[in-house]
Amino acid sequence: MPTLTIDNRPVTVPDGTKVITAAEQLGIMIPRFCYHPALGSVGACRVCAVGFKEGPIKGVEMSCMVDAQEGMVVATDDPDAVDLRKHVIELLMLHHPHDCPVCDEGGHCLLQDMTISGGHGRRRYAGAKRTHLDQDLGPLVQHEMNRCIQCYRCSRFYQQFCGYRDLGVTGIGTRVYFGRSEPGTLESPFSGNLTDICPTGVYTDKPSRFYGRRWDYERAPSVCIHCSLGCSLTVSARYRKAVRHEARFNAQVNGHFICDRGRYAYAYASQPERPRDALIAGRPATLAQAATQMSERLAAIEKGTGPDGIALMGSARSSLETQALLARLHSEKGWRTPCFSADDAATRVVSSALNTLNATNTIALTEIEGADTVLLVGADPIGEAPMLALALRQAQRDGSRIITVDPRPVTLPCAHDHIAVSGDDLATAVAHLIIGALEPSREIALDADQQDRFKTLKQETRDIPAAAELRAIGHALTTAWRPAFVCGTTVPDPDVPPLMGLLQALVQTSCMWSGLFFPLPGANTFGAHCLGGSDALFEPLLAAVEAGQVKALVVVENDLFSEYPDQQRLAAALESLELLVVMDCVPSAITARADIFLPTQTIYEAGGHYLNNEGRLQVATPVIAGGLSIMDTGGGNHPPREFREDIPGGTPRPAWQYVAGLATGETDPPDVKPLLDEALTAGVADGERVSLPSASREWPSIERIGAGPEGDAGGLTLIESAATFGSEPLAAFSTVLAELTPLFGVTVHSETAQRLGWRAGDRIVIPDSAPALEVVVTLDDRAAPGVLLVPRRIGIDRTALRRYMAHLLAE
Amino acid sequence: MLMEMGLDREEIAALATIRSELKEIPAQRRYLIPLLQRVQQALSYLPQAAIQLVAQHLHLSPSEVYGVATFYNQFRFTPPGRHPVRVCMGTACHVKGGDIILEHFERKLEIKEGETTPDREFSIERVACVGCCALAPVALMGDALHGHMMTGKVEGLILRVQIEKEKARREMGDRDER
Repeated sequence: MPTLTIDNRPVTVPDGTKVITAAEQLGIMIPRFCYHPALGSVGACRVCAVGFKEGPIKGVEMSCMVDAQEGMVVATDDPDAVDLRKHVIELLMLHHPHDCPVCDEGGHCLLQDMTISGGHGRRRYAGAKRTHLDQDLGPLVQHEMNRCIQCYRCSRFYQQFCGYRDLGVTGIGTRVYFGRSEPGTLESPFSGNLTDICPTGVYTDKPSRFYGRRWDYERAPSVCIHCSLGCSLTVSARYRKAVRHEARFNAQVNGHFICDRGRYAYAYASQPERPRDALIAGRPATLAQAATQMSERLAAIEKGTGPDGIALMGSARSSLETQALLARLHSEKGWRTPCFSADDAATRVVSSALNTLNATNTIALTEIEGADTVLLVGADPIGEAPMLALALRQAQRDGSRIITVDPRPVTLPCAHDHIAVSGDDLATAVAHLIIGALEPSREIALDADQQDRFKTLKQETRDIPAAAELRAIGHALTTAWRPAFVCGTTVPDPDVPPLMGLLQALVQTSCMWSGLFFPLPGANTFGAHCLGGSDALFEPLLAAVEAGQVKALVVVENDLFSEYPDQQRLAAALESLELLVVMDCVPSAITARADIFLPTQTIYEAGGHYLNNEGRLQVATPVIAGGLSIMDTGGGNHPPREFREDIPGGTPRPAWQYVAGLATGETDPPDVKPLLDEALTAGVADGERVSLPSASREWPSIERIGAGPEGDAGGLTLIESAATFGSEPLAAFSTVLAELTPLFGVTVHSETAQRLGWRAGDRIVIPDSAPALEVVVTLDDRAAPGVLLVPRRIGIDRTALRRYMAHLLAE
Repeated sequence: MLMEMGLDREEIAALATIRSELKEIPAQRRYLIPLLQRVQQALSYLPQAAIQLVAQHLHLSPSEVYGVATFYNQFRFTPPGRHPVRVCMGTACHVKGGDIILEHFERKLEIKEGETTPDREFSIERVACVGCCALAPVALMGDALHGHMMTGKVEGLILRVQIEKEKARREMGDRDER
């Protein structure tokens, strides 16, 4: 822990800290272009020069390349260093075009800031500037190579940090060029971060190009709700339209970066099809009329059938406020327990997973970066929670071993061992891992009861093809120092998470640190679970609707049709209802069927609290007041000439307000913390994890290890799983992301394809599908044989697809 | 093959030979530069198809291969012309106005230094010293050295090649008629 003096102020930092980082701790921002805390130092730009006055090093040196050492005296305002920095900036500006007025980076450009603060204002070089041709890098990132100052941040981020190889550096000297070998869409789902890390305008945000300057935007801290990780965002909006998401640093969750799904998902909030008016039986009505009619008709039904005749449906994308008030509506009025997802299989897994978490085994996303072994069972990070893949990449770069056990051919941007295990065998696979961990070495001490349990486990566990390999891995886990366990919650069955919990608890006794991490299906699935809705299943609710017991259904921000597979059955059940109330901010199949429709506000207008997948309570601040964008209402006039007292399209209210209106008539936002406290029996602060139960050493009850797979052993199983683009209900409305969404396809093992008579590239037309569905066949031998893998996609005819796959199975 | 679009028949044949030779070379990154040299030896430049071939064999991305290849001046990415023009930019030639000669070639052939005319007849390169400074400024067309270059001579040299070509074409035509 050396102590050094920077600008006459002492600071003590850990060994190996660079001087530039030490200065940051004192609040001194040494100029930098190539240095980035996440990417480290390369000493390419020479602009972080400082003067070393005393100590082991003397003279002007680069502060990003020098380790802080005892007794150093550093002056950032050393005249020689200031002079050098000034000349370096002049050199970098030699070829930089003076196009700041038309450059989107202008206003938040590091080079602009450094040029101004460095005092360089007059160009002395009279020669021609070097110029480059730009490339088309796809719909997300705009390329302007002439502005490049060769800091190498982009290629280091893209290749080393993210592990994608299609963008890099070419050439030498003045010909140095950052780009692809030929123009084309960037392959990395993290490419949008290039716009954040480029210190100047080589990479700028393409969808919001020429929309405004940094200072024009209304900006507010927010949370990403497009997967369960809850990355921190800064949202920029202008003219009542959210137009840009940027990564906001969060040391626990996302670090410095976010994925492209989160970055470009905002389009749903300003799409022209967004429903902005209340509807009664499909006809426009005022909000007051619709709300009054809703209360009256619900009251009438309640009188007729009792409180049991009204059911509540929430969702995993609603804020905690909305979810909590739904739960309160249930407790106050006695209406049926709110159900938060129409996918019961997932709800069961989520429930068993979150019951496995406790105060000691829960870990944050960035903690995974420090693991030395990561075991993923039934989790596909790139599709389900992209930033998890980036964390795994960092772990692997540090020498960590990554193991995936999955029926799907999991691809990661880093080297990993993949073991293909069919979906039904995942629990058995984890049982083999446990046997491997306990059997050969007995490094983990078991008490008598546990030994009995272990004996039973060993006897009951079936043999599967990968058993030996899994046992070897299980054994290796006992020698790891920092193993992390990741378990998906959509593909595995409910037995897998508790088994993973058991494996983690056993391994915990022989290592320094370990933890469990469960990516969840929705942004606020954890909230839904905490508020007690996680045990309410949709199937009984649907049966009650069909039996006529439930007369009215209130659906809040949930498109049941995209979650529930049997669309005909669902449509018939909804038809039989006396009253269907729908509240949502996006158009969907269920919006059109509503008897009463109430438009809700998006996260940009309403804000809200969200619990991420590890139970961290995070706040999204409202960014805009709501209403149609001036760009849309102005009809091209400048300034827009429409005069009225209200904001056009400003009708929507936060969903919780409607729900509160039904319960207590509150109009102020509810404080979620007391509501959460009721559910969790302990206090929680913003940005902190909710209190979880303390660890129990109980051996979980496991039912399905002994049982064989459902159906015959050689059968086919259809797995619908989340893909990076096209699966998340809100991000699916983004037109730029739609361009990146691949053709709908099925991935199978070549053996299975042979059995079905399929070849790679075949196009299968699904019979009786509306809209017509065509499936492209892809072969991948890393998939488990017998698995038909399709991405979850909003708006496709899943009933027809399932019918066709069932028909294949029958053959 | 789609990959081989834009290549002539000889080049496709040369590429096929290289493809068959690849089996002998282990898929290790350290063979990247020798492989690129081999391609350039056979095709006298690195077409996109060759870069993809090498990338595929070594399990690298085309971007990485391209990145390494563009780092070195010895690799070229456009085919040389049948009559490569090399303009000397050594000290003596520089003093005697070599840059004027180079610029004149560029203007007459409507290409820049390092490029090849669309009919692949001419390409222009700048070279350091060819070792006959007494004749400065010097330019080479093919293997023929032309000393004491002047702007007026540039057009003559190009015209001479074009006349030769036209003559050959007519002779061929005459033979066909007979």
